[in-house]
Amino acid sequence: MSESWFLNLETVYAVTGAVLFVFAVMTFRDKGNRHRYGSGLFWLLLAVAFGFGGVLPHWVTGMLVLVMVGIDGLKRVSIGSYDETKHEQQVEHASRLKNKIFLPVIAIPMVTFIFALAFRIAGLDSSAVNRAALIGLVVGGIVAMILALRITGSTTRTLFQEGRRLNDAIGSLSLLPQLLASLGVIFTAAKVGNLIAGGIQSIVPENSLFLLVLANCVGMTVFTIVMGNSFAAFPVIASGVLVPLIVKPFGVDPAMVAILTLTAGSSGTLMTPMGANFNIVPTALLNMKDQYGVIKFQLPFALTIWSFHVLLMWILIKTL
Amino acid sequence: MLLPEWFKLAGVFIVVIGFALKLRTTLVVVAAALITGLIAGLPLFTMPGQEGIVNMLGRAFSENRLMTLFLITLPAIGLAERYGLQEQSAALIRRARAATVGRLSILYQLFRVLHGFLGLRLVGHAPFVRPLIFPMSAGAAETKGEVDAEKLEQIKAANSASENYGNFYGQNLSVVQPGILLVYGVMKGLGYEVSLWRLILFTTPIVLLSIVLGAVQFLHLDRRLNVTAKKNG
Repeated sequence: MSESWFLNLETVYAVTGAVLFVFAVMTFRDKGNRHRYGSGLFWLLLAVAFGFGGVLPHWVTGMLVLVMVGIDGLKRVSIGSYDETKHEQQVEHASRLKNKIFLPVIAIPMVTFIFALAFRIAGLDSSAVNRAALIGLVVGGIVAMILALRITGSTTRTLFQEGRRLNDAIGSLSLLPQLLASLGVIFTAAKVGNLIAGGIQSIVPENSLFLLVLANCVGMTVFTIVMGNSFAAFPVIASGVLVPLIVKPFGVDPAMVAILTLTAGSSGTLMTPMGANFNIVPTALLNMKDQYGVIKFQLPFALTIWSFHVLLMWILIKTL
Repeated sequence: MLLPEWFKLAGVFIVVIGFALKLRTTLVVVAAALITGLIAGLPLFTMPGQEGIVNMLGRAFSENRLMTLFLITLPAIGLAERYGLQEQSAALIRRARAATVGRLSILYQLFRVLHGFLGLRLVGHAPFVRPLIFPMSAGAAETKGEVDAEKLEQIKAANSASENYGNFYGQNLSVVQPGILLVYGVMKGLGYEVSLWRLILFTTPIVLLSIVLGAVQFLHLDRRLNVTAKKNG
């Protein structure tokens, strides 16, 4: 069962690609969009890269990405027109449909949750559980579409127009998490991390435990800010700083310092636009004016909890 | 190429400057990737024994499509909004007098920590925050007074932050979560076989701290929203 088509992520990518294809066709035909050909081409290429990413040679996908970024760089990705409803109409619908309108949006998290939970209980390995949550998200999206159509009595055309309205509001930012992942791969191939770890090794005095702990946490956080992801930073810092400079010479508990180093990095993730899927995509999803609004809100929290990491690590090394 | 090692940091500088000047984000990131790769002497396209930059770009893009799957939820959310989702959320929450932006954010963060503890991994901005938590929070704020654009920004930021706080720290509470497995794997590779349960033991104070700090920040936001609401009458 574990490798059936149903549990295959390529299937859900193809479904999502098909939705993007519908958005692309609607965009090409939308005379209210200032750059309908540029925007339409952008969404069409994304549909192809999404739906066929598993079968296309990687260099072809890479070229598609470069063209998409080029179109966006020339500012040819713009929002369209969607026959939007007035606020009074929405209030009127709300008083008619009452709480039934929640059914589709509750279906999305419910189905996601049920899929993840079912595979967790079935005792599959963690990668299958992760996949199940993603498949659940897509199945949930489809179930929600069906429920929304049933409850509102609206047309499929309006359904996708409304989807396109939200999609256009996010625009090219939806590419960003994937582009940043690519940047991470290239940073790793270019050994940028080793450079950072080497820099720390050459600055910090070898006998001052507190300064070493501080440098370890600074290094982890800075590298996370650069990579946008503490998981990418941890192997570099653990092998370049934590183990050779702290665990080995001082004989400290490796489990304690390792997990605290990882979550010290989480502060970096909270502070960086490189963590786009956590910090930038939500601002687009929620139509925020300030692209860095979420990061600014998280900043005091991130700095406070980071300081506690340094202190806690140092105190635990001293007392354990 | 005989460039000094530190030239490889050019990509990092491009990103920092590009983000600071709010240049076209997609372009900045791809430029940084191309320049870093070229300085490191990587070929543009794959040659025998060496993966090319464009190939890496395509491979990483394909392997990370999961990050963009949330697009599939947009049609249903959009249609529900057209038929009064936000208005009905507001109407519902107006009846729950105890609900505030801060309390909803705290509750949601706890809910996400619970996910982590149960070994469930997901990013909740698309499935939870956009369709449910934000409309409920906006509705709760409306019961306390006028909600202007500035306040709305703060509410959106707080809701998004509560998702990140709950997700980042809560996920380390289960041995099936990738963070714990990553630490275990890396440390084993470096010659230290650590106990998974000890990792969870030492992350617990941080999880508790994240809940307390989050609560402090969210309740502070409630007070700020209230003060300005009263000032504006």
